[in-house]
Amino acid sequence: MHSAFYDHFARHGHGAGLKGHATHYCPGCGHGLAHKYLAEAITELDVQDRTVAISPVGCAVFLYYYFDVGNTQAAHGRAPAVALGHKLANPSSIVVSYQGDGDLASIGLAEILQVVQMGLPMTFVFINNAIYGMTGGQMAPTTLMGQTTTTSPHGRDRFTGQTLRVAEMIAGLDGPIYVERVALFDRKQRTRAKRAIAKALRLQVENRGLGFVEVLAECPTQLHMTPIEAERWVQEKMVPVFPLGVKKDLTAEPWFTPEAPSFDARRLTRTIHASTEPAPRFGDGFPAHVDEHDVAIKFAGAGGDGAQTIARLTAKSGINEGFDATYIPSYGPESRGGTSYADVHVARREVLSPAAPEPHVLVAFNPPSLEKFGPCVRPGGLVLYDQTVTPEAPRLDPSVQMVGVPFTGIAADLGKVKVKNTVALGAFQAATRLFPADSFLEALRRSMPDDCEMAVLNEEAFRRGAMAFDEPFDEPAN
Amino acid sequence: MPVTMRAKPFLFPTFCKACGRCIEACPKDCIEMSTEIDPVTGLTPVVIDLEVCNACGLCFTACPEPHGLLPRPEGLGAGEVDPSVFFGPRPSTAPVPETIPDTRVPLPSFEPMVLKGTHASAVGALLAGCRHFFGYPITPSTEGAELMARLLPELDGFFVQAVSEVAAVNMIYGCGGAGLPSMTFTSSPGFSLMLEGISYMIGAEIPGVFVNVMRGGPGLGNIGPEQADIKLVCRGLGHGNTHAVVLAPSTPQEMLDLTMLAFELAFRYRNPVVLVGDGYLGQIMGRVELPCEMVRPGIPEWAVHGDETHRGNLLSSIQIAEADLEAHNVHLNDKYRRMIEREQRAELYRCDDADWLVVACNTPARMAKGAVESLRAQGASVGLFRPVTLWPFPSGDLLPLLDRARGLLVVEAGSGQLEDELRLALSHAGAPGTRIENLRRFGGMLPQGQDIVDKVIALAHGDPSCTAPSTTTSHATAMAPA
Repeated sequence: MHSAFYDHFARHGHGAGLKGHATHYCPGCGHGLAHKYLAEAITELDVQDRTVAISPVGCAVFLYYYFDVGNTQAAHGRAPAVALGHKLANPSSIVVSYQGDGDLASIGLAEILQVVQMGLPMTFVFINNAIYGMTGGQMAPTTLMGQTTTTSPHGRDRFTGQTLRVAEMIAGLDGPIYVERVALFDRKQRTRAKRAIAKALRLQVENRGLGFVEVLAECPTQLHMTPIEAERWVQEKMVPVFPLGVKKDLTAEPWFTPEAPSFDARRLTRTIHASTEPAPRFGDGFPAHVDEHDVAIKFAGAGGDGAQTIARLTAKSGINEGFDATYIPSYGPESRGGTSYADVHVARREVLSPAAPEPHVLVAFNPPSLEKFGPCVRPGGLVLYDQTVTPEAPRLDPSVQMVGVPFTGIAADLGKVKVKNTVALGAFQAATRLFPADSFLEALRRSMPDDCEMAVLNEEAFRRGAMAFDEPFDEPAN
Repeated sequence: MPVTMRAKPFLFPTFCKACGRCIEACPKDCIEMSTEIDPVTGLTPVVIDLEVCNACGLCFTACPEPHGLLPRPEGLGAGEVDPSVFFGPRPSTAPVPETIPDTRVPLPSFEPMVLKGTHASAVGALLAGCRHFFGYPITPSTEGAELMARLLPELDGFFVQAVSEVAAVNMIYGCGGAGLPSMTFTSSPGFSLMLEGISYMIGAEIPGVFVNVMRGGPGLGNIGPEQADIKLVCRGLGHGNTHAVVLAPSTPQEMLDLTMLAFELAFRYRNPVVLVGDGYLGQIMGRVELPCEMVRPGIPEWAVHGDETHRGNLLSSIQIAEADLEAHNVHLNDKYRRMIEREQRAELYRCDDADWLVVACNTPARMAKGAVESLRAQGASVGLFRPVTLWPFPSGDLLPLLDRARGLLVVEAGSGQLEDELRLALSHAGAPGTRIENLRRFGGMLPQGQDIVDKVIALAHGDPSCTAPSTTTSHATAMAPA
């Protein structure tokens, strides 16, 4: 069987001399052992071709020098996110995120928690040596209380933060099915470590779930110890704080076998509701009686009045009639219950300025909207307002036509106040003759093809609104 | 396995780092440190007494070096050993990676759709073959993400709401690294958080598409439309020597078209592509025509896809040797140069005989186009120069116009970041001093058509050699319902 290690480390110092066959790790470093067990597991499970190893910042950032698998190097702490991207891109790939304690337990806490909790079949090897190796002996989240590092020179205390136990934290999540903490300090521990890494990988290969192995490893260089002293230090100092053993081991059936994404043209176009069916046209030209080139309309009310819906329907009608049209909502955190307005343009050729600061027509659902936007309406324009809630309309430019229609009253008559916007739309159509009524009704029908009851009610509301303009109950306030 | 089948250890002394972990591991005490210094390493490798060794194999498991203690091949003598016995002629047995090309699937002719900007962009992404979305909700871009969340499962794609924008960009890094198109929708504060990952993507040459629906800043600012990330997308894509093609649509139609182009460019150059809209453009709903074909993506040869063909690949932004990193930057610069040469795009509207050019992009460009129409109707020679790529700035299209134009009016919803790009581009092009004026609004306020008209007239009046109208026309319109 071919090893999952390269025969020649061509990426290590261009493979020259000693570097071609030796790692960059210091003598006695635990990384080499964890690498070896991972490589053996990859070989034994026969997944070398499918394996993608993620090597983020830390001493093991050069893992790709050694592993003859697909390799992606990642930013500090982000390996779980990168690994997830790989796994979802190719669910049959075997993704291994190999991270150190600074990477996984400090800067990358958010990423590890999200991805582990998601629990896709993936493998995490977490090297905990209680210190920052690559940057030169700074404090890690896993540094022991009292331990001296270059950034806890007086010994770690509360003010430098307390030691973080990662395996227990990960095991507390619902995502992973297997979590174990192992060590490397004697032959018994090494056998266990080897077995744990192989198991975490196997659970992924069998599509059962996420395996997480924390490895207590030696960093003789930054601990200023010989390799053998470092082994003893891990055994005597680390193990009491980081108890070894299985933290979680659930039985799980294979489950993650998603369908390949679809690129079927028919399925895609159905999904986005694209239609080859031409929308019927009812009008016979651009509503030049309102404006020669570009009609601007503002619909305004309180959130929930339905101003946005009829603004959208108006824009749709304009497009169905073969013109350019835009609809822009006022949007924001106030969109539920607060003020709500929308600007619509219908242009013969192209809408140029989609905002309607000076509309030809204003449809106002309440007095504040009328107060605010009424004065902006162009001379010669039209204001349509809800007479039910606006007993007295403000005085505006005398050239502006003021039309009051009881939107709410008519809708209440119909038994559903909610349709007051459709009443308004009907009145708007009758007042402006922007497009024929059928044009709006068609847009209305297409907007809710599956709701027959509402469709009938809406059409009735539309007609009543139009009738109310044609035969007003009262003289419009002017 | 019977003991007799096991191999005794073998060691190339030069690959031993003398850590001594095997000494501790050996139950037979047959390994010890040599007293002789290895001339290559300067270390004292271990020596093994093979007579005492019972081939238990525990020393292999204790040796941290991949090519340290190895099982001894059968019949190997005691003397010098040829390394080729252990190491093959090639560093790897991985095959030479191959490209699986994209395929283009023809579509029937569809009726125009009515879509809001973010939705048009999402539909463009689906048509471009994107089936992976990673993002974090942020107004005013969220509707794009919401649409993807609804549609992607219907296409057996994946939508992931990441724990943060920092995580989202790295999921794109992974998915793009696997060779597949992926994207995000975000808005200014979220885009700031993605910059680290974008720098890594550029360094590792990983494609991905970022749609940044710009909002008001700095800080939390507001959710109104601004164009205040132009500096970030053109000059500040994270640390290091970074650039990406920046596309600036101005209509929902362009949100779709340019999103599709963004995916094409991202994979053509192995680089992220950023599409910047403004809050208005994200929300505005308009007419959108669908293209005549869609893309079924292949897998590029460089991808780390997790399959046999691509096993030999590496994606990395680390180049530890100075000479290597310099060479990598030279390579990136060459790529940036190609982008500058080939990807400049602009729309020129009535520019040929223009005395004044209005320069604007995104929604302000629509306002500007309206202003140009209106000024032309009044007899003024004014044109609109609309950069569609903000980086590279389309100076190639602009320079010929400067022979005639007396000045440029940069209209933007921001503090002059577009103008800075323009000035830098002109400076790089060695263009002679051109008069540059500006009209700026902030905080979610957009420059309106009439503001632009007034400004151009004021400028033209101050310039006696320029044809200028003397009065503005009235907006009064007679409303006469039929």
